[in-house]
Amino acid sequence: MPIEFIADQVIFRDVASVEEAEALLEQLQTSPRATVGLAACTHLHTANLQVLMAARPVIANWPENIELRAWLEGALKPVLGGSLDGNDDSRSR
Amino acid sequence: MNPLLNQFLSESRDFSQEIGAKLMQLEGAPDDQAIIDELFRLVHTLKGNSGLFTYPEMTRVLHAGEDLLGLVRNGQLAYSRELADRLLDGIDLVMAMCGDIESTGKIDVSRTQGSAQMVESLRDLLPPVPDLAGLGGAGISGSPATGAAMSQLNMPPLAEIPEATRMDAFRRSHDGETLSWIAYTPARECFYQGDDPFYLVRQVPGILWGSTQPSEPLPTLAELDTYSCILEFHLLTTAIPEELSEHFRYVPDQVNIVQVDPLWLVIPLGRIENGAAHHAFTAKMLGYLERNNLEGLRKYTTKSLKTTIAGSWQMSALSWLLVLLESHTDNPEALRLLIQSFDGAIAPDWTALNRVDAARAKASVTQIEADIKGGNESQTGEKHPPSDIPSADSEEQAFARDAILATQLQILQLVDHPAWETGRIRAVAAVLRNLWMSAGNGQASSEIEAALSASLAARASAPLLSWLEENKEGMAGHLPQPGATSLRDGNSSSRPVETATQVEHSGARPAGDEVVKFGRRAEDAVNGQRSVKVDQAKIDRLMNLIGELVVEKNALPYLAQRAESQYGVRELSREIKAQYSVINRIADEMQDAIMEVRMMPVSFVFQRFPRLVRDISRKLGKEVNLVLEGEQTEADKNIIESLADPLIHIVRNSLDHGLETPEVRRACGKPETGTLTIRAAQEADRVAIEIIDDGKGIDPMVIKRKAYENGLIDEAALERIGDQEAVNLIFAAGLSTAAVISDLSGRGVGMDVVRSAVEKMNGTVMVNSELGKGTTIRISLPLSMAVTQVMIVESNRQLFGVPLDHVIETVRVAKTAIQFIKQSMTAVLRGRVVPLKTINGLLGIPARAKTNADDEFAVLLVQVGGGVLGLVVDGFRETIDVIQKPLIGLLSGLSAYSGSALMGDGSVLMILNIRELV
Repeated sequence: MPIEFIADQVIFRDVASVEEAEALLEQLQTSPRATVGLAACTHLHTANLQVLMAARPVIANWPENIELRAWLEGALKPVLGGSLDGNDDSRSR
Repeated sequence: MNPLLNQFLSESRDFSQEIGAKLMQLEGAPDDQAIIDELFRLVHTLKGNSGLFTYPEMTRVLHAGEDLLGLVRNGQLAYSRELADRLLDGIDLVMAMCGDIESTGKIDVSRTQGSAQMVESLRDLLPPVPDLAGLGGAGISGSPATGAAMSQLNMPPLAEIPEATRMDAFRRSHDGETLSWIAYTPARECFYQGDDPFYLVRQVPGILWGSTQPSEPLPTLAELDTYSCILEFHLLTTAIPEELSEHFRYVPDQVNIVQVDPLWLVIPLGRIENGAAHHAFTAKMLGYLERNNLEGLRKYTTKSLKTTIAGSWQMSALSWLLVLLESHTDNPEALRLLIQSFDGAIAPDWTALNRVDAARAKASVTQIEADIKGGNESQTGEKHPPSDIPSADSEEQAFARDAILATQLQILQLVDHPAWETGRIRAVAAVLRNLWMSAGNGQASSEIEAALSASLAARASAPLLSWLEENKEGMAGHLPQPGATSLRDGNSSSRPVETATQVEHSGARPAGDEVVKFGRRAEDAVNGQRSVKVDQAKIDRLMNLIGELVVEKNALPYLAQRAESQYGVRELSREIKAQYSVINRIADEMQDAIMEVRMMPVSFVFQRFPRLVRDISRKLGKEVNLVLEGEQTEADKNIIESLADPLIHIVRNSLDHGLETPEVRRACGKPETGTLTIRAAQEADRVAIEIIDDGKGIDPMVIKRKAYENGLIDEAALERIGDQEAVNLIFAAGLSTAAVISDLSGRGVGMDVVRSAVEKMNGTVMVNSELGKGTTIRISLPLSMAVTQVMIVESNRQLFGVPLDHVIETVRVAKTAIQFIKQSMTAVLRGRVVPLKTINGLLGIPARAKTNADDEFAVLLVQVGGGVLGLVVDGFRETIDVIQKPLIGLLSGLSAYSGSALMGDGSVLMILNIRELV
């Protein structure tokens, strides 16, 4: 399974498809304290991204894929707006 | 290439030709509703067909055409030549795409743009409907010229991009890269269409920056619908808009691509610190700029930057100024705007700068307008003479000059004497001087000067006017198209407006203002077609002719026989026989060839099953693995075509009633995924098609009970019939599958419909089922309906044909072995009781059946429905192949016969329809 639920952890692997989103939502609803591990994730379907954005769980680790990491940090870090080149954008506000 | 696509291409060609023809017809009769309806139907069908494949460019064009015709059909839009032209262009484009697909398997990338333009040009004709406006156009806007028209309101929100990224992008742009802004708002239901917007976005070429955010406040987890997309994406890339529109070609209505002017990125952001020095600061910088001392400005900026507070607005603005100084030294206006913005600490409105640029491009127009208003005060030497019009060709220049001359003339002819008349005269003189200068006639300027001073002295325009009257012809001499007559024309003031629009147009379409051609059919290379489409009637005629030939040919052996027996010429008889064998061979081959023309592979029907099975199983929540076998098996076109409906019905039944849900299957110890096999094979001269599922099978007890409840069988039968017979009851009329197991079956059509459809094709259908293991339905069909094998029987000195499909065997039954049960004759044959009927009785022939010398009846055992019947006849003859002709006219009411055939000796053989007979 691309998304594994182990105790209080949600671990993404490879590509998480749209079919996974429902289960992910359920898991994050039932255990709101679950941390999310993205290290091994190479892509996640928009539906999953949406769930993560709505749930804002604690991210245990970010994807090893730098480009995906930039996207996800932009979307999931508390500061709104993301940056693909990895620059800290706090200066601009 | 896959056959479905092949068929689509050949159909599209037909359709487009028909659409073209209909449009032509409509030209003669624009109000003919029937033609409009037909046209709409054609375009609609073509659009639907194109949707089966992934050719969004084609579908979009057709969709636009369909919308247009839909309005015409409803009378909301009148037919016009313009409309026909555009539709024809659209169809040509579609055909060009078909050509691409045929030669390369896909639509050429360059068509995307053409398709978008075509859609736009079609949608242009639609009456303005607000919610359609956004749909039609391609997502590309902001080519340099339209960008100029962009106001600050619809500027992309570039400020959300971090400053460092913006500066990087700015420098890249200066290095020659194109910047594009993409706002992609996926449709809410896009997940259902298999889209993954995030994936699409990640694949965008040349991403500099991207962000995603919900397009509306994210709901709480409990309210979140995972299958509804509420995210939107913003991107800044270095890809060119064409590349992007190709990338987003499936979702052009959900994406907005704007080519970004690098200056738009210059948005200073930060805390605004109040410093008293600001104003002086700005003034000093402007001073440097006025003196064009850019180096000084740079140094001053660097110095000031050190004193500003980190994170402040000023710091950001100064950094930008430095970046601008690196690259935009040729654009003092931009520098000025940025410096001026320091005062208010408000980001400069770069669109204003663009407007200035755009205005400059239209300088001549502005000037003319100003002149007409008499607002000459503003006219100074810095006015741009018309020669400044960039890239204007000489013809356009001629137009512009004519217009300017005409306007100056008008001004000078004004008879009012306002206070500013001298200014006005000066202005005219300046314009004329510039005009003559630009035409390369420098010495005219002193003449103009003289005329001007004379005019000023007289405080009247007359001297200048007379100079102009004299010299304008000379001026015209410099021009390719004089247009001198128009100068005196009072209406000439309308010309400048025309000019203006032309200039604007050529600017708006960088490709030039020639009409974009989509590759008209006439210019297309002729696409070689390897297949010929022939009307089925022509093939049928061939079939009939070969049938007659076969019959005629069969007369030759008779002739040979007569030559020998009647005339005693043995030699001739032998020769006739030799000729016959040659003709026989050729006729056979010809028959085969003609049959082959009509042959089609069953894949024509099978092709739709993967999709059908997928859809239905999805709907029912079942896991099904579809296996197709023997798709290449061929059969007559009619057979294949009439096979489609029964097969779909059977497959639907199997999925609905046969296969179980994954849970049930697991509980039964079967694999979760059920298997549905559709297998076709040729067996001698028949095609056998099996639909096999490994589902729960048919319970004979349930069927029996249902049949009894529906009155199909009586109580005795309920006890008597075996399981196999019971299972066959599903084909009985009145026992719908819906009643058998669930109420989910399709539209109340039972298996009896399947049976009658198959039997109409002289086929048989059988079912085998093992409870818990699965069901096999087997359909057997003749390869071709054209040739029927019949057995000839004789009764009362008449010959009848019985289709061999029905014949089980021929037996002799002793008169004594026949038992009478009430009025019915029966006999025990091979251990079972067989009812007997005389053919004379069935046909109403008033004669008794004859027995042979041994007092035995000739009995033909035939299969009727599920049972066996003995037909008592006078005698058996040979079996022959005949071409069966349906009974027509008066005879068509005779249901006892299925048709007639000609025999070799010229006599007519009536073919019995056993099923109707008993």
